[in-house]
Order: sequence, then C-alpha cells, then structure tokens
Amino acid sequence: MRTRLPLLELFLSALCLWAAWYHTPAGALVRTAGAWLFRTRTTARPLLAYFGAGTLVPPRLPPFLAGPVPPAEALAYGAAAVLEGSPVELAPRLRTLSGRLGSDDAALLAVFCGEEAAQYAIDQARSAALEDLARALPPRAEPCIARTAQAAMLGETYALGWPLPETVRITSPFGVREHPILGGWRLHAGIDLGTAIGTPVHAVGAGVVRRASSDGVNGRILVLDHGRGVVTTYCHNEALLVRNGQRVEKGQIIARTGSSGRSTGPHLHYQIDLAGEPVDPLRFRAQRPRTMSGATD
Amino acid sequence: MRWNVAERVNRVRWIFLPLGLCALAAVGAHAAADVVGDRVLWAVDRVDAFFDALWSSWSFTAPLVDLVGLTQRTWFARAVALAWELAADALVAVPLLGYDEREAAREWKLGRDLLLRIRSPLVAVRPAAALLVSLAGAFSVARMVQGSLQLALHLSWFAQLARAATLVCLAVVLVPRAVFRSLEHARSARYRVPAAVVLVPLLVAAVLSFR
Repeated sequence: MRTRLPLLELFLSALCLWAAWYHTPAGALVRTAGAWLFRTRTTARPLLAYFGAGTLVPPRLPPFLAGPVPPAEALAYGAAAVLEGSPVELAPRLRTLSGRLGSDDAALLAVFCGEEAAQYAIDQARSAALEDLARALPPRAEPCIARTAQAAMLGETYALGWPLPETVRITSPFGVREHPILGGWRLHAGIDLGTAIGTPVHAVGAGVVRRASSDGVNGRILVLDHGRGVVTTYCHNEALLVRNGQRVEKGQIIARTGSSGRSTGPHLHYQIDLAGEPVDPLRFRAQRPRTMSGATD
Repeated sequence: MRWNVAERVNRVRWIFLPLGLCALAAVGAHAAADVVGDRVLWAVDRVDAFFDALWSSWSFTAPLVDLVGLTQRTWFARAVALAWELAADALVAVPLLGYDEREAAREWKLGRDLLLRIRSPLVAVRPAAALLVSLAGAFSVARMVQGSLQLALHLSWFAQLARAATLVCLAVVLVPRAVFRSLEHARSARYRVPAAVVLVPLLVAAVLSFR
C-alpha cells in the first residue's frame, strides 16, 4: 500500500525539510555549515534568534529625545523610531488600527506586516500578545515580525515612568567607568540614583516580578518583566515589598531604597534591559535628572 | 521504456524519507522548546538567584555572581533552551535518519512486537518522545502551510483545507514511521537515564505546542 504513495511521501518530506531548513536552529546550523563549506553567504539568523517566534531581536537604539513622550503615543514613537518616520503621523493610524483589530500589538503588526497578515494572526493566535501573533505567521513574515518586535520594545520603553521622584540626582550614569569598589574599567549597566534609605521605589510600568531575591553583590534585588522584551531591575534596596510572580501596576510601591550588597552608600541602581541588552534609561526620557557625586555600586 | 515519475521517485525514497522524518522531528522539537521559553527563563532566574546568594557569601567567590549577571541571564536562558533542543534533536531526530523501510504489514507487526517487549519506562521514553515531537512537528508544518497559502493566495478556505490535509497526511504517513524507527532504536540505545532527563520535559512541552 505504502509503495503506491511515493509522490505524496516526497512532497511531505520536502515540506518538512523546508520547515526545518528555515524555521529551526538545527536548520540554521546546517545552512551555516553549508555556507562555510562552499564559501557562500548564509541567510540564517543567529541561533538564539529562533526562539520567541522571532520576536527576540537586539534593540536598535533611537536617538535621544528632544521632548517628552505622551504615554498614549509611546507606541507611535517606537514605530516611528524603526520606520524613521513621524510619531505624529503614526499615532492616529495606530489608534485606528488598534480599535479595528482589538490590540496594540496587532496594530503594530499591521503597520509592519500589513493588515491582512495581522488579521490572519489574530484569527489563528492563542492571545493578542505579539509573540503568539508572530507564531501564527509563516516563515516569510520573519523580517517584518522582527521590525514589529523592535517597535513594540521601544514603544514599551518610551511608556515607562521613573522609579524615584524627579528631584533625585544621578550619582553614576550608564556607561563604561572605573569601578568604585573593585577598580578597573567596566560597564555600568544602569544608573545610580542617590537617595536616603527608605525612599519608596515605584514600578516604572505594569509587569510581573521575575525575581525578588537577595545576594551580597546586588543586595536586595527586584527584576520586573514588562513584556515585549523590556525588563527593569532595581538593586541595593533596604526592603522588597513584592514577591516572585506577583503582578504589579505602574506607580505601585515595590521596594524601599537602601545600601544592601556591594555599595558605597544609600542609592538605587536602576537598569533597563531590552531583549537582554542593557540600555541607557535616559535615552528614553526627555527630562534629565541632575548629576552629583555620591553613593554608587 | 515508459516514463514513470512515481516509479523513479520510489527508487530514491531511501534518501528522502529518513531526511523527512528527521526534519519533522526537528521542527517538532523546536516548537516544543520555543513554547516553554518563558518557563526556561523563569527557571534560570530561580537557579541564578540561588547561586548568586551562595557565591556572594564569600569574597573569593563573589566575582562569580557577575559570571551570569543580570544582563547575561536572558542570553543564558535562551542558550539553555537551545542546548535542550539540540540535545533532543540528537536523541530523537538524528536516529530517524537510520530508518530502513520494510513492507507495511511486516513493519506494523514488528512495531507491535517491539512495543510489547518494552519492560522499562526508560525504554519507552524515546518512542513516546518521537510520537509527540513528530505530532508537534506535523502541527507546526501544517500551520506554516496554511499561513503561507493564506498570505500568498488570499483564499481562506483553501488555506484551511491545505492545513487539515497536511496535518492528516503527516500524521498518517510520516508519524507512524518515526515511532516505528524510534521503537527499533530504543532497544539498543544507551544513556537511557540522561536521555529521559532531556526528553520527559520535552514530552510535556510538545503537547503544549499542539494547536
């Protein structure tokens, strides 16, 4: 019986090879090895980029902001940064699409992949989250999914608030610096905000507590996952007021500042990671806190 | 001499069938690993927090805290998921390249005999993984077919029909062969305990990826 279906078997095998070739890290390994062997260029993405349905993309940083971002237009700013367009023109389009498609992520997907693809993804996906929408689309949509993910990530970051009062000054900015305790030049992956012990720390956006723990280096540390590849971290606290897995709202008091861990005095180390890469939090704010010398880590 | 495409294709099935089975399992393993990515990240965070607290207890081990620091943990979690997927590929997909087809009735009978001879759950892990991972792969390939056709032809009914047909054909034509080959291979396979450690979570993840 089986030997009468060679053409069907060939067709099905070819489909599986096509899917594995373009859609799996194992396929990417074979493609890369083939390209190396025949000295050609490969179109395979980095192996780790095959996870998260193609939405885990390294951030492309926008220029510093000239003015404040209205929270309702944060996504438009994110999309504009990727398209190199105007957020003022994109905002009403995104609002219309969001109303029609029922979610902000779907609206962004419609901007980058087309409305038909977005509508199809909504019909097929388990949820309206970008990762699920992307999972419903075929491999050829990968480039536009990557651009959508970039825009969503930047938009989410533009919508973030600030963990401490605006008057609190920066004691150590983001960037490579000489470490105050260990010595030697290292990347300071966040910014230090000098403040008295016990100052309330506010969640900069809604999210889930991914880590609430304590160690001798970071002190009492809190990590919030805001979705869309955006994670914020708060170190050296005196007390943590939330627990692992808890959902927090924007502005909620989540900790009290302190000087726990490897620190020279009371301060908050605030860090933003986009797709696992630390970025300068000031890049996403028009207001710049003043700097002063003081406690750091 | 009469030109018979089917006959000619039939002569090279020993090449494309094993490759197709291996690819099907690889797609399924990726679908399974991808769907639990967030849970892997959660687990890495828990383990990282535990070790950070441990290493920072002594000054000479404190630098280890920065080894998988706040920034590296996402990369590390993805690398764990990738390593898990590649290990699953090696344990489930690669052995399918050894598929050697027999006459259908004989294959079913042999498969049943191999199934009845399983005495330990550790032996059953690989065939069970082959079944669920291949099914996950079939769902994934069918979904890709539907998406590609829908966005190329804009015919919703046709894309849905193609998806259903692909799923049924893969489930009937390729999945049983993958399970048969895995049953055959499981008898002589070594490292059963490490394989079970890798594959048992994959069974759950594969089921989660079904849709």
